[in-house]
Amino acid sequence: MGARENILARIRKAQGRSGSEPTEAEMAMVREAIARHEVGPQPPFAHAPDRLAQFRKECERLGTTHATLASEGDIPAEVARYLAAGRLAPALAGWSEFAGLDWAGAGIEFRNRPANADDATGLTGSFCAIAETGTVLLLSSPAAPKVTALLPETHVCVVRASRLLDTMEDSFALLRTEVGEPPRAVFFVSGPSRTADIEQTIVIGAHGPYRVHIVIVA
Amino acid sequence: MQIQSMFFKQRATEKLGDALLQGNMKKAKGKFVDGRARAVAEFGVWEELRTHAAMIRDRALANLDAYLVEFERNATRRGAVVHWAESAEDACRIIVDIATRNGVKKVAKSKSMVSEEVNLNERLEEAGIQVVETDLGEYILQLAKEPPSHIVAPAVHKSKEQVAELFVQAHGKPRLTEIPAMTREAREALRDHFLTADMGISGSNFVIAETGTTLTVTNEGNADMVTTLPRIHCVITGIEKVIGTFEDFASLIRLLPRSAIGQTITNYLTLTTGLKMPGDADGPEQMHIVLVDAGRTKLVGSDLQEMLRCIRCGACMNHCPVYQNVGGHAYGWVYPGPMGSILTPVYVGLENAGDLPNAATFCGECAVACPVKIPLPDLMRKLREQQFDRKLRPWAERMAIAGWSFMATRPALYALFAKVGARVGSWLGGREGLIHSLPGIDGWTKGRDMPAPQGRTFRELYKQKSREHG
Amino acid sequence: MKVGLFVTCLVDLSRPGIGFAALKLLEGAGCEVVVPGSQTCCGQPGYNSGGREVAKALARKVLAEFRDCDYVVAPSGSCSGQMKVATVHDLFKGEPDLPEFEKLAAKWHELSQFLVDVLKVDKVPGRFDGTVTYHDSCSGLRELGVKMQPRYLLQMAGAKVAEMDGAERCCGFGGTFSIKLGDISTRMCENKCESIRATGAGAIVGGDLGCLLNIEGRLRRTGDRETKVLHFAQVIAGEG
Repeated sequence: MGARENILARIRKAQGRSGSEPTEAEMAMVREAIARHEVGPQPPFAHAPDRLAQFRKECERLGTTHATLASEGDIPAEVARYLAAGRLAPALAGWSEFAGLDWAGAGIEFRNRPANADDATGLTGSFCAIAETGTVLLLSSPAAPKVTALLPETHVCVVRASRLLDTMEDSFALLRTEVGEPPRAVFFVSGPSRTADIEQTIVIGAHGPYRVHIVIVA
Repeated sequence: MQIQSMFFKQRATEKLGDALLQGNMKKAKGKFVDGRARAVAEFGVWEELRTHAAMIRDRALANLDAYLVEFERNATRRGAVVHWAESAEDACRIIVDIATRNGVKKVAKSKSMVSEEVNLNERLEEAGIQVVETDLGEYILQLAKEPPSHIVAPAVHKSKEQVAELFVQAHGKPRLTEIPAMTREAREALRDHFLTADMGISGSNFVIAETGTTLTVTNEGNADMVTTLPRIHCVITGIEKVIGTFEDFASLIRLLPRSAIGQTITNYLTLTTGLKMPGDADGPEQMHIVLVDAGRTKLVGSDLQEMLRCIRCGACMNHCPVYQNVGGHAYGWVYPGPMGSILTPVYVGLENAGDLPNAATFCGECAVACPVKIPLPDLMRKLREQQFDRKLRPWAERMAIAGWSFMATRPALYALFAKVGARVGSWLGGREGLIHSLPGIDGWTKGRDMPAPQGRTFRELYKQKSREHG
Repeated sequence: MKVGLFVTCLVDLSRPGIGFAALKLLEGAGCEVVVPGSQTCCGQPGYNSGGREVAKALARKVLAEFRDCDYVVAPSGSCSGQMKVATVHDLFKGEPDLPEFEKLAAKWHELSQFLVDVLKVDKVPGRFDGTVTYHDSCSGLRELGVKMQPRYLLQMAGAKVAEMDGAERCCGFGGTFSIKLGDISTRMCENKCESIRATGAGAIVGGDLGCLLNIEGRLRRTGDRETKVLHFAQVIAGEG
């Protein structure tokens, strides 16, 4: 552990402290500052009077399409409509929380497993959504494989309207109350993947999905 | 990468004469600057957020040791292995060891400036490991065997025609003319690599002490592949990147993409903590985090410490009129533009950095654009002071300053010289009042005339006038 | 009201007319103007070349020369920035003479800001019939906030101001930068000249002689003998 001690000792020396390990008092001070979870200034539009309108506006800016449904049972029909409109194959790999819906009735083949590189469409749920930026937050878990949102060319994401929050800070507060420690991946998705690396020209569809469709369920 | 910073002046002159590069740079310029201006204008509380962000960074830097130890404790608790690297060589050795120990044959990499700094790709390749850069810009440069010329848009100096040519050679497919088609071809070429790589290497824009979290910020989604698909995930990042909490991250991420390209948020933000959990379908079985010093502790506690706040957005170079004209390669090392003119001298030595601290007019645009309020011109000036004190500037320049200060502090002598200077200058300027060339200021007269003095100084004339009016 | 005129070393050596224009404007507005004869330079060239001690010595000299004045005015944003900002925020920070420099900084004004913000002039002696374009010098703009004042004064003199693209962009002067890194400096200046030409204005006007000499030098080298290069003080004093 020579390198660790040397680096810490150099930092401490430069800051006028001795030794190569912070003292208990210094650690306590830092933990105290951390535990405050201080929130910085947020833009006025982060607390829009109509949260759903703000969310939709940001989605549109990002190139995310969206639809609002009355109940969960309507999801297969909406997905079928969306895929047909985009001339996309009526098949998808989806999170198991949606396996019980009537997919056959909507003419869709539902693959109850994590998506792989051959799946054209992936269906995921979400932990919550953020109106400020038109973002959905996915938390990795055995029931929520991240690859399903990443590998297919089309990502359909279900958001419960009651889980629409104002800001990223709000999502962190919810994460602490409901989950505790963050899982392996806390994954914020804001629209289809893009790049501007050639001549600073924005192109949709870099390594991730070309299309993101958000289905908001009341 | 090989340091070429001592040749800044010559390289800059070459770049000024490179018509292709000049065209490519001109295309990019407006997009960055206008995009940021729009995003800042609609934000509402931009200045308040900048102040808060500077505080977030300063707070962690003031107790950097404790923040790092807290980060290490939490990352370790979640199953990651934290490594400490004092130097560039140490960082490479640690990562090459991890790779060889685990029989890694192929590495998929997302963008990391620290890895450029320490020459990681070369070291891995020397150890027989294939390295694939997956950020589109970095991939293009890997094919071109060139270093990045911008920290956010690494291939900003390339035109689409140049990219098309590289792709023809690399992919062996017909030449493409449209950018979306090129992007798709690269996507297809890289998809396989993501799926077959044994190890993913990413940077981390920040590391979060409270949770032991590392993170990636991308539009392409490549970092998510790199951190999710291979069985080993290795993070390489600088020790200065530590912040306290997720909330601190939320503040900083409101600034980063807006400052970089005027985007409100990048398409993907991923906070990565520890290993794949029991039952998880994806995620790595091993996670290594390499915390790199390589010169950073030299900044701690120094009068340049504010530089460690840097969040690598690139706004300073986007707004720098020098960078815009010469491009990133002229700077001769990993970090170009104003931030590079400070980091390069510190990391590679002031004596190897030549003109970099002088590569600025102190116009101040960078300081206005910097989201964490780094006073970049002031820090460059401090490096000039070090150059001055260590006698690192050319003899003639030092003599000129010494001579000027000797006179400027002696009013009578100064007045005499000014008087003579005004007359000689006027004579040199001739009827036109223009000096076309003058030894000693040929840097000026090569491309400009020097408008000549008019024969008498203000103070001479003023004295005379005062006498006349009694 | 006793106003000290800090002429600046460049005006003293190269364009005394700007100094007299400033004098005329201040006296015309009812100021009692003094011009300390021992003044040389604000110290900025040394400061920006790494010669901190020289810069401090010169700042002390300026302080002593203008101690008795109620105000100090300079026809330059750059020198004013040196005396209003660099001294207080850097050179004498934490030193015993800081309060003295704070006092000096408070009474020091760039010429256009003094005329508009302090004296609140509503007329100027000069008349200028024609179109000008205004170059915002970096220090004045970003250190002191000089922006609308010179334009307001130019319009008062009857000039039409045609805004150039990138008026706030550096002209490439940068003091010794213009000589040390002459090729880059020239390119930056050429970009500025392109913007100036595109406005079709008959004169390019600014508030800092360094930038003006740079711009004039490039315009003349590239064959433009027509476009006038003027300090705003010359225009509004009627000495352009």
